[in-house]
Amino acid sequence: MTMAHTNSSIHPQQYHSLSTAVLTQAEQQDRWLTGSELKAFSDFFSSGSKRLAVVEKLGQQSQVIISAAADRIFYNGSAMAYLPSPPNRENLPGYTLPPRQSAARPKERLKLQIPSYGNPLRGLLETLKNQFSSDREPLPSGFRPINIQRYGKARMQRSMRDLDWFLRYIIYAIAAGDCSIITINVRGLRGVIPEDVTEATVLSIQEMRWRALQYFKGDAEAIQLICEPFDVMIAQYRVEKPPMQPRPGVSSEQQGLQLPESYRLTQPRFVMQSLLAETEKQAVIRAAYRQVFERDITQEYGLALTDLESRYRSSEFSTQEFVRQLGHSRLYRDLFYEPFSISRMIELAVRHFLGRGIYSLSEFQTYFERVSEEGLKSFVNMLVDSAEYAEYFGEATVPYLRGLGQEAQQCRNWSAQLNLFKPKASTQKHPEFVTQFSSQQPNQHVYGAGNDCLEIQFGAIFPSQGGVATQPTADHRRILIGCQPDQASGWGKVPGAPSEVIRLSARPQKMEQGGSIDLRHHSAEAVIQAAYRQILGREPFSGQRLTPAEAKLKSGEITLREFVRRLAKSQPFRELYWDSLYITKAIEYIHRRLIGRPTYGRAEMGRYYDICAKQGFYGLIDALVDSAEYLEAFDENTLPYERYITPRGYDLRSRHHPNCSISPVSGVRVADGTWVQEAMQRNRAQTARINGHSIKPDLSNLTESLTPESPTPEPQSEPEHDEQALAVGAASY
Amino acid sequence: MSIITQSITKADREARYLNPSELTAIHDFYQTGRERLRIANILSSHETQIVEQGSRRFWERCPITPSNCGNPVYQASCLRDQSWYVRLVTYAVVVGDIEPIADSGIRGAKRMYSSLGVPLNNLVSCMSCLKEAALAILTVEDAAVVAPYFDYLIQGLR
Repeated sequence: MTMAHTNSSIHPQQYHSLSTAVLTQAEQQDRWLTGSELKAFSDFFSSGSKRLAVVEKLGQQSQVIISAAADRIFYNGSAMAYLPSPPNRENLPGYTLPPRQSAARPKERLKLQIPSYGNPLRGLLETLKNQFSSDREPLPSGFRPINIQRYGKARMQRSMRDLDWFLRYIIYAIAAGDCSIITINVRGLRGVIPEDVTEATVLSIQEMRWRALQYFKGDAEAIQLICEPFDVMIAQYRVEKPPMQPRPGVSSEQQGLQLPESYRLTQPRFVMQSLLAETEKQAVIRAAYRQVFERDITQEYGLALTDLESRYRSSEFSTQEFVRQLGHSRLYRDLFYEPFSISRMIELAVRHFLGRGIYSLSEFQTYFERVSEEGLKSFVNMLVDSAEYAEYFGEATVPYLRGLGQEAQQCRNWSAQLNLFKPKASTQKHPEFVTQFSSQQPNQHVYGAGNDCLEIQFGAIFPSQGGVATQPTADHRRILIGCQPDQASGWGKVPGAPSEVIRLSARPQKMEQGGSIDLRHHSAEAVIQAAYRQILGREPFSGQRLTPAEAKLKSGEITLREFVRRLAKSQPFRELYWDSLYITKAIEYIHRRLIGRPTYGRAEMGRYYDICAKQGFYGLIDALVDSAEYLEAFDENTLPYERYITPRGYDLRSRHHPNCSISPVSGVRVADGTWVQEAMQRNRAQTARINGHSIKPDLSNLTESLTPESPTPEPQSEPEHDEQALAVGAASY
Repeated sequence: MSIITQSITKADREARYLNPSELTAIHDFYQTGRERLRIANILSSHETQIVEQGSRRFWERCPITPSNCGNPVYQASCLRDQSWYVRLVTYAVVVGDIEPIADSGIRGAKRMYSSLGVPLNNLVSCMSCLKEAALAILTVEDAAVVAPYFDYLIQGLR
């Protein structure tokens, strides 16, 4: 059993020192250190003091080396002036100023050097002198140095920073005794640094190497230590910009992801060939065991599947056949079939034979059907014979985990896949992929299945109450408010909604007897005010009113629907609900404002995304206002209102909710119940006063006189509204 | 992660060259390298002996344990795991860091063993026996180098 051999694919270490590189390899192959590795360690340790001497010297002379490299490729100015000064680290905890540098601060040294290289005459002399030294790389024909003045400040700073960066990584590599830090960081850099300065960059690195070697003339060991990382760096830098590699096997089930080559880590792959030495064949066999059984069978049980192994060794079986036979073995059945539920068994088998997790529900269903109808052997055959297996592993290669660093990963089952690649995945008994797939509804809302967008939570993709609800709970069920015109009462009030349905009618209806106003009629001013409230969400500030449109509405030139459209296209609305929000949120808000309900699901949202992308904001408004649903629900002259409501939303708005325990009218607490009675009495008194009756103040009205009365009589509809709200409240007490 | 990669990571994060204190630390690492390699060599060449004595002592101390109940598979896997842990300790000694032990020996090991039905207390005492057996074949100075790694392992599994 190996615990370690997959760790590196989950937590890839970015680079190695010699010691960690050797150890990681040994650990991955699950063995003791070999003689040659011990020798490498021993050499590494004995070269230690030399390495440190080189590192120290190059660190001290870094400025000189960098300026030499800069002089090689730049002219007409002092390049070193553009080198960003190192950040002030002296105040950082634990930082000790290097003893030899403490006398001369870096800035002062910089100034001292500038004249020696900025002076054209001196520079010319040096250049001439350097040009004739024999071991230096000659300038390639056609190379033209870069004019500092023309190159620009920003690019100069960037170039100088990069030169400093190159030298720093060279020094790290020398200290670590391993060039992987250079390989990892420099590979692919050519795609980042502009292509036209490649030659200059390489030239400057060569110059740095030459300059560094000047400090160690005649010291063969040091020269070798210095040359190796420089050569690796140049070679890696010269590598062509790596092409994007599309992941093989793109089908309707798989996303066609691309993986830049620079991300590719080198994991050993085991390929069986008949010409391999016996020990190498043994290594391949053990790799197959580790992949299929997740452990080394020979070590574990002393049980060699001797017959299979010998046939495999003698090339009677291909690797593919060997892996198939392992899957058919009694041992595989014992280890990975019988202890698990079928769902989990399928996940593990896909890991063992295809080296990945399950991609989709339909794939899972295919496998499940095969297992339950034809059993394990047939399922293993299905995996091993699949086109995907052939494409990735072919006849000879032992399957490997296609995790991070091997190929681009999908994000839709990211966590389950990473868990599956962990070394102890087989200790987990419950299936992970299928539960995850089950929570993905085909027409799931973009905010997630459990999200209720009616009570929009700002910026919250997921509902706030702990965890992601995978299924809508009872409270999320929306209630469609029936608002059909009723013959008896005309247009009704929306239960639970803050206001009644407002309709623009052409002429005021006849006043009823007794001086009370017809509740079904709204003046144009009232309609306009309500429209601002509904569409904009608030009263407009001065200067935000659409005066021309208002006038046209009053004169009957445009309908209310047209007014709503103009209001929605106005600048304040756009600023409120479009400019400052991300697209999903903006659609949600605008949809609620204009259609009066939240969006239903992914299909609907997808349609709106499309409109937004192709026609923009104004296209979206037109699409909503012209939609069949708008016409059906509101027709030409009804103001949009909230048509959907949830129990929670209703609860939040109703006045007996704990959050609004202070009554808006008089500041008396609702909780003790007195406010309810007071309000009802006040209503009665007001109604009586308006109707011209006088009522005797009795004892119960004493409390009322304590509350200040509003100077102007409230409109008739207000108390009516209150009473209804109270009735609702009382019913639910 | 050895001391070298640690200092490089730290220096790289601050975008600077290696400073003298780090150079000293790396220097010490080089200097003691031979020593540590020698100790690791002793451990690996005596691996069978260590595992044998450790397991004998372990079964004396905890006679009732899955590996001592007569099941050859359990016994074999117990021995194998012991040898595996000795090897992890030698890795750690060579690299001078606890990371190999922490990374592949401790992280998740408790969960794995309890899911396999191995009593964790017995596992810890098995590791203690292994430590005693390993230290017994080393000189006092060498034992002082190795002991902390075993202690870390035992603490981690406890």
